[in-house]
Amino acid sequence: MAAKPGSAPVTYSPNLGQKTRPPIFKDNDLDWVRPDGRGFHQCRPAFFRTGAVNSASGSAYAELGSTKVIVSVFGPRESKKAMMYSDTGRLNCNVSYTTFATPVRGQGSDHKEFSSMLHKALEGAIMLETFPKTTVDVFALVLESGGSDLPVVISCASLALADAGIMMYDLVAAVSVSCLGKNLVIDPVLEEESYQDGSLMLTCMPSRYEVTQLTFTGEWSTPDINEAMQLCLDACNKLGKVMRTCLKEAASGSQE
Amino acid sequence: MVGLSVGEKHFIQGGIAQDLRSDGRKRLTYRPIYVETGVIPQAHGSARVRLGATDVIASVKAELGKPSALQPDKGNIAIYVDCSPTAAPMFEGRGGEELSTELSVALQRCLLGGKSGAGAGIDPTSLVVVEGKVCWDLYIDGLVISSDGNLLDALAAAIKAALSNTGIPKVDVAADATSDEQPEVNISDEEFLQFDTSGIPVIVTLTKVGRHYIVDATSDEESQMSSAVSISVNRKGHICGLTKRGGVGLDPSIILDMISVAKHVSEQLINKLDSEIAAAEASEEES
Repeated sequence: MAAKPGSAPVTYSPNLGQKTRPPIFKDNDLDWVRPDGRGFHQCRPAFFRTGAVNSASGSAYAELGSTKVIVSVFGPRESKKAMMYSDTGRLNCNVSYTTFATPVRGQGSDHKEFSSMLHKALEGAIMLETFPKTTVDVFALVLESGGSDLPVVISCASLALADAGIMMYDLVAAVSVSCLGKNLVIDPVLEEESYQDGSLMLTCMPSRYEVTQLTFTGEWSTPDINEAMQLCLDACNKLGKVMRTCLKEAASGSQE
Repeated sequence: MVGLSVGEKHFIQGGIAQDLRSDGRKRLTYRPIYVETGVIPQAHGSARVRLGATDVIASVKAELGKPSALQPDKGNIAIYVDCSPTAAPMFEGRGGEELSTELSVALQRCLLGGKSGAGAGIDPTSLVVVEGKVCWDLYIDGLVISSDGNLLDALAAAIKAALSNTGIPKVDVAADATSDEQPEVNISDEEFLQFDTSGIPVIVTLTKVGRHYIVDATSDEESQMSSAVSISVNRKGHICGLTKRGGVGLDPSIILDMISVAKHVSEQLINKLDSEIAAAEASEEES
């Protein structure tokens, strides 16, 4: 599924506004160009579409550059018999890669780390008490890995949950920032991720201004953390708007 | 998981709000920490850390291996954590597996740094014997013996202690090796190389209960948490990794506040841990 001709994908990039920031780039770094020609603080064009899978209660497809992800949501349905009684609903998340998602042919098996991260990022946004005794299954499949896979999976999954009509406090938007030398690069592609010195992933609920999940790797100083978090929050805001537009379009389309 | 009555829950929450916890500690005080090193003779290095009723063992084993083709100048380091069902019945089966993965991933993120190896507690280039041919593979295994909350901090402390206890055998490389053959190596039984462990960060977990956050939560206190943030800080005061647990969202300003608190707490923890490790090493040599 590709973007329809004529409907140009909506681009979002953090609005740095008129705020004066200390220059973080040294002069000799400025001639460095990102592999896809973006600015350091510019995200890839985001394309979202709901209703990608017919049999699921809700589903979404996301495409950011060459990262392509499909997420389906099943349920709420009866929890497995072995599960104990619970007066709040359960969330079951599973992220897997296709065998052809990565440059080297992979195993195509479950990605346990991403599955648990997806669970942690979403559980704070879902009103689990609205579906007691039942389970919602979220299955994500990375069709093509092009960098920033997990943030794309998380954003796409929250859209799929909304499509399934699961009650949520807000959509969850996720963005990652890579630290390459002294530069902070938003929404890194695969090539940049393999050289990164550190990375930060932030998932937040834009309208509530709440962070549901945050991870850092590598060594960070406090000014860098502030800078990177602000970048991510700005980008999440923009991404949230794109996701909201997608939902509105889907809703108005089904009424016609 | 922890069966608490309504009264007990109120008591814990009220105590935290008044800066006097059930065991008499303040919000930002750790339980006494005990370190023992060299507890596993089979391993190259090992340590046991006790933090109240939380009891963990970390062991370091080194094997000669081949560096990956993508990073010929770096050795491999792997961290795995095992939560044995002997510690708590909920560790059996899937529950333990999930917790083990969560802890392993968090430790890898906090101790091994970014993909390029920057910010890593252990310098992976120091593990290389012959570039592109031979390197040490370091297997760090954590075992939870008894669990009373704050496993991540205890495991990180145990790994730090185990690494400072580790001696890697010295390796002599046969000089006549041609460029494409696998060089012959000779492992020495007597000479050991020590790691520089001063750069290894400690992990401080701040658990948010009500409006306040506490360090070193017991499992009773953990059952009342809304969310927890684990921050790894090195001696320089730089953040080396951060993970959030618990679903409830946090305001970004609170997270920044938590980071500065963690930095402050980590200074004391690093000093305490270093003196404990030194004492443990000394008593091991005596016996």
